[in-house]
Amino acid sequence: MNVRSQGKAPEAPSSSLGASRGGESLTITSVDKTFGGKREVTALKEVSLAVAPGEFLSIIGPSGCGKSTLLQIVAGLMMPSHGKVFLGANDVTGESAHMVYLFQQYSKSLLPWMTVEENVMFAFNHRLHLRKKAARDRCSEYLEMVGLDDFGKYYPWQLSGGMQQRVAIARALSSEPKVLLMDEPFSSVDALTRMELHALVQELWERKRFTALLVTHDVDEAIFLADRVAVLTHRPATISEIVGVDLSRPRRPVEVHENPRFLEMRHHLLNHLLRKPEQSDEPPV
Amino acid sequence: MFKRTVTDAMAEFPITGILLVLLMLAAWEVSVRSGLVRSTNWPAFSAVTAALWNGMLHGELLPVIGSSLWRMLRGYLLGSAIGITVGLAIALVRPVRLTLEPAVELLRPVPITAVIPPLIFLLGLGDSLKVFCVALAAFFPVALNTISGVTGIEPIYGQVARTFGIPRFAALRRVILPASLPFILAGLRTSLGLALVVTVIAEMIAGQDGVGYYLLSMEYAVRAPEMYAAIILLALVAYALNRGFVWWESRLIHWARTREAAGGRA
Repeated sequence: MNVRSQGKAPEAPSSSLGASRGGESLTITSVDKTFGGKREVTALKEVSLAVAPGEFLSIIGPSGCGKSTLLQIVAGLMMPSHGKVFLGANDVTGESAHMVYLFQQYSKSLLPWMTVEENVMFAFNHRLHLRKKAARDRCSEYLEMVGLDDFGKYYPWQLSGGMQQRVAIARALSSEPKVLLMDEPFSSVDALTRMELHALVQELWERKRFTALLVTHDVDEAIFLADRVAVLTHRPATISEIVGVDLSRPRRPVEVHENPRFLEMRHHLLNHLLRKPEQSDEPPV
Repeated sequence: MFKRTVTDAMAEFPITGILLVLLMLAAWEVSVRSGLVRSTNWPAFSAVTAALWNGMLHGELLPVIGSSLWRMLRGYLLGSAIGITVGLAIALVRPVRLTLEPAVELLRPVPITAVIPPLIFLLGLGDSLKVFCVALAAFFPVALNTISGVTGIEPIYGQVARTFGIPRFAALRRVILPASLPFILAGLRTSLGLALVVTVIAEMIAGQDGVGYYLLSMEYAVRAPEMYAAIILLALVAYALNRGFVWWESRLIHWARTREAAGGRA
């Protein structure tokens, strides 16, 4: 099994790195995050990670371990206490250009006063300033990709949960981000819808080849979608292990879930996750 | 799908409420006709209706209510516009909040009627005084509701705007304003009622025309039917203003209500 224990922090990338496929690699260098207040809580400690351009990386860990915090820092929605985030050779710490965050609470992240179409166009029109026709075309292109081209005039709250999340995916991708950051995006839909969404995200990723970072506590989901799976330990979170997923693509949900390699990785990762946190001073959340 | 059914609407129709109003008007009429109350200060409802009819068609009532409404409208729009602007500034800009909020909190509980006499020294008895009073009265509910609307926005809306790199002004226009619109509109509705009240009071205290002045004049002239006609007209105008506002409001923020009706998957 392609397993390595926590390595050294990647160096700040040189400009030649990550130039393949026109993409830029995403590098996280020894990021710490401490939340102030009466009792200081260290959420993240020395988290370092390098994601190749076009790679799909899953991050799993127990709930409350700081996965979302890490993702928000990468997204530029939160500042780290220490450490930096690079896209290619550029320091993008605290910036959100070229990256889009797909929220867990899809029903809240879609703006209820805008129709599905307006929600999607909102994502790119303020950056791209397209003409009306071009904007509409782009919007319907992406809605078609997620199978919702007939629902542009609806309001998001008129759609089912799975459809809303597909709108959110279309909106996120329509701004053509270099990096898509997904924060447990499938955790609040039913199991079947979740599998459909997995297949959809895999298909869109193969088509668009953005760099993808998925945070989840669902081991199956993490393996199914990813090229590599990183394991975060309990608070303060550090990366304890990175597992490479050597399953061929495209992956089909039913087949993959019966694949012996899949089961082996699943077994390994679950064992790893269920191990008691030894030096944790807090009860598991 | 989200429209209420016809039977629902019928079940909500206030038949008994309308009957009660009719009954009270009938009792009024009977109290005079039966000779139960004999006073020049207590005309029959029919006499008041006649005064209202004549006053509106070829009398003095139409210009009277017109000048009051025009005055109210100017004060209301001025106060509301400043209220929204100041409310946004207080909610969004910390130095502004720290500077203005104590003053707003201190001035807010002062009854507007109490400051009319000193304001007469500053602004005279003319229109500017009354428009200013209305604006002042309209300002506070709008400003305070704008503040609570903006500060209560779902944090995720701000994150959405940031992740898509929406420029500040566009985020204000397309996210912050719509998200807080239900609150702002509630403030505007409160202010609308208040604006009419203050218009009438200001006209009573420092009037040359308008409904407030007219009411007092008719009282002094012992023209009771005209006095009551003016009051009924005020009631009708206030009712119409409120209904019109509610209709406009429900069109502007239809998404907020229908979303709740649809189960409000929050």
